[in-house]
Amino acid sequence: MTESNAGKETPGKAAAEPDRRAGIRASLEAGAVPMAMQDARLLLREQPSALNYRFLRQLVDALPHDVAELKPYRVALLASFSIEFIHDALIAFGFVNGLRIHIYQPGFGQINQEMLDPGSGLYAFAPDVAILAIEGEDWLPEVYTDFMDVEASGVGLGAVVTRFGEQMGSLARAFRVTCAAPLLVHNLALACRRRAGIADLRLPQGQVNMVVELNHTLTQALADVVEARVVDYAGLVNAAGSSNWYDTRMRLYAKAPIANAMLGQLAQEYMRYFRALRGLSKKCLVVDLDNTLWGGVIGEDGIDGIQLGPNYPGSAFVEFQRAVLDLYRRGVILAIASKNNAADADAVFTDHQFMLLRKEHFAETEIHWERKSDSLKRIAQRLNIGLEHIVFADDNPAECAQVRRELPVVTVIQLPRRPELYVDALCAEGLFDTITLSAEDRRRGQLYQQRAQSESMRVGSGNIEDYYRDLDMELHIAPVDASSLARAAQLTQKTSQFNLTTVRYSEAEVAARLADPNWLAITVGVRDRFGDNGIVGVVMAQARDDRLDIDTLLLSCRVIGRTVETAMLAHLCDAALARGLGKLTGRLIPTAKNIPVRDLFERHNFSKQSEDPAGTTIWGLDLERGRVERPTWFKIAADPRSQ
Amino acid sequence: MSKNVEQTIRDLMAIVLNTDAAKIDDGTSMDNTPGWDSANHINLVLALEEEFSISFEVSEFEMMTSYFDVVQTVTAKI
Repeated sequence: MTESNAGKETPGKAAAEPDRRAGIRASLEAGAVPMAMQDARLLLREQPSALNYRFLRQLVDALPHDVAELKPYRVALLASFSIEFIHDALIAFGFVNGLRIHIYQPGFGQINQEMLDPGSGLYAFAPDVAILAIEGEDWLPEVYTDFMDVEASGVGLGAVVTRFGEQMGSLARAFRVTCAAPLLVHNLALACRRRAGIADLRLPQGQVNMVVELNHTLTQALADVVEARVVDYAGLVNAAGSSNWYDTRMRLYAKAPIANAMLGQLAQEYMRYFRALRGLSKKCLVVDLDNTLWGGVIGEDGIDGIQLGPNYPGSAFVEFQRAVLDLYRRGVILAIASKNNAADADAVFTDHQFMLLRKEHFAETEIHWERKSDSLKRIAQRLNIGLEHIVFADDNPAECAQVRRELPVVTVIQLPRRPELYVDALCAEGLFDTITLSAEDRRRGQLYQQRAQSESMRVGSGNIEDYYRDLDMELHIAPVDASSLARAAQLTQKTSQFNLTTVRYSEAEVAARLADPNWLAITVGVRDRFGDNGIVGVVMAQARDDRLDIDTLLLSCRVIGRTVETAMLAHLCDAALARGLGKLTGRLIPTAKNIPVRDLFERHNFSKQSEDPAGTTIWGLDLERGRVERPTWFKIAADPRSQ
Repeated sequence: MSKNVEQTIRDLMAIVLNTDAAKIDDGTSMDNTPGWDSANHINLVLALEEEFSISFEVSEFEMMTSYFDVVQTVTAKI
């Protein structure tokens, strides 16, 4: 980046805003929707104001009904207070994110009627998502407004907590019975002020501790309701500061407690969920190098001259690298697009002591002097992901503008001038957020639907083998590698049913085995006619003497009952024979939960060799006498890395 | 450099009330402007606060029922 750019501050809003607004309008009139979305995103980053939300809402309202880039999304807002002032922000941020939001808004205080009556307007609306927004002041006056009365009475708040848990659980269940949409429920935020003053934390049931307990109760109450999620409203209020978040004037005047300036924050928090629920979360982050991962230009400043380390500004770049590494750990694919000499850049990765990011964290690198838009296209192609799932972060305004112009569907993060603001620029929107940290959880709605479809098919096709064939299953069996390591470890940690040994492994423990030639560690992915289930199985086995010994064999419950385990054993037979080993052995540690796997060895003609007092059994299969064959209904994927 | 206050208010009102800025004059009021209902009035007031970095008293909300009154009230605060 050049000095002239570095020195330039954001132009005053009065000058830039109307131009930006006119540009968005012109793009839409020309049918350039992605460009309009890009510019709208910039407008809301630079100036997230009620006026701009209203402006964008009116543009969206005027669009034809069938704009391909905008997916319709029906949002039901149920609140204990006046939440309707958020509508403009919700529609505006929805537009930025490729969603055309339609809102159902009953009056405040209608929560019970709407959720409990199957004939209510809520259910007639058929939402794609419902949000239950509660303020403690309205919902639990005993813990908020009337706290000192209750405290003085000595009655205690235990019953209030119990009733709250029951109430929220039964509302969620009532909703779930009538409606399949995800339900997002706000947790409770503390008010600005403790009613007992500084004595609050000394009270056996003070407000601070009660709100913690209530929120814990809420999480538990929703835990067994499918697709009911807690929105961390308390965290949001906390991040902004409750004295900024709340507007007492508007609470008392219009029963609208949230300050106008904070509504955008809340709308953006919802967007994190909407993107994740609609499969719009970003999958890949492409970063520049110079003045992005480190300060300075490696080709000019040299490895000792770049800024990276414990002292400012190097410390800011370390912090940015940490944030990028966090994303990698969360399953985001990383890539590099840099204009540099590859050898100069490589040396930083291998030789600089403060580099947190390593070359192995990056799935793709494009380090040369060609156009960045071309680099991004190649990265997307090789990773086999859509450009709309890519985020590009660069400090150089010219590079950002080039990518925006050539590839308007790529989300561009122009890093700000000051490196201490990089992390916020990267993370503020939560572009990579997933509902949970497993990709399978994120797609649970879809997966449940798939399972429901395949179950109904199972009923339809009388013959079980016809059912397997109709599923059109394709297996992806691949050695565990950097891209699948986290998922493999996660499956050992999470799988309890179809799991021979229920031994939990960390990533590091699995990784250690990858380096050992005696170990075999593989993942199994299954794609079927209803979609890709992702990685659903893990096998680890060790060559010992004349046998291949199964250490771990597990399957996600989603694909139990489809003979995937038979194919896994067949693969192990192949692997043993390829290594010249004549036996396949394994052990079964029975637990309360692993009933589905209990008969695995017996079904596949293994013979029991021993049993200890705890019930653990050792099994063996002599491969010279017979082996496990892969069922003929499986296809083997050409590209084992695809998930 | 920055536009004058009246023009800024007119542009803002045009967006919030979904009308044409050129049609807004001293005679424009809640009584004769279809988009200017009581719910939208709060949106308008909050947008004005944000745009000019000012804060109104509730009594002032109720005074600003015409373009003329809006200009008077805002001008007195900046």
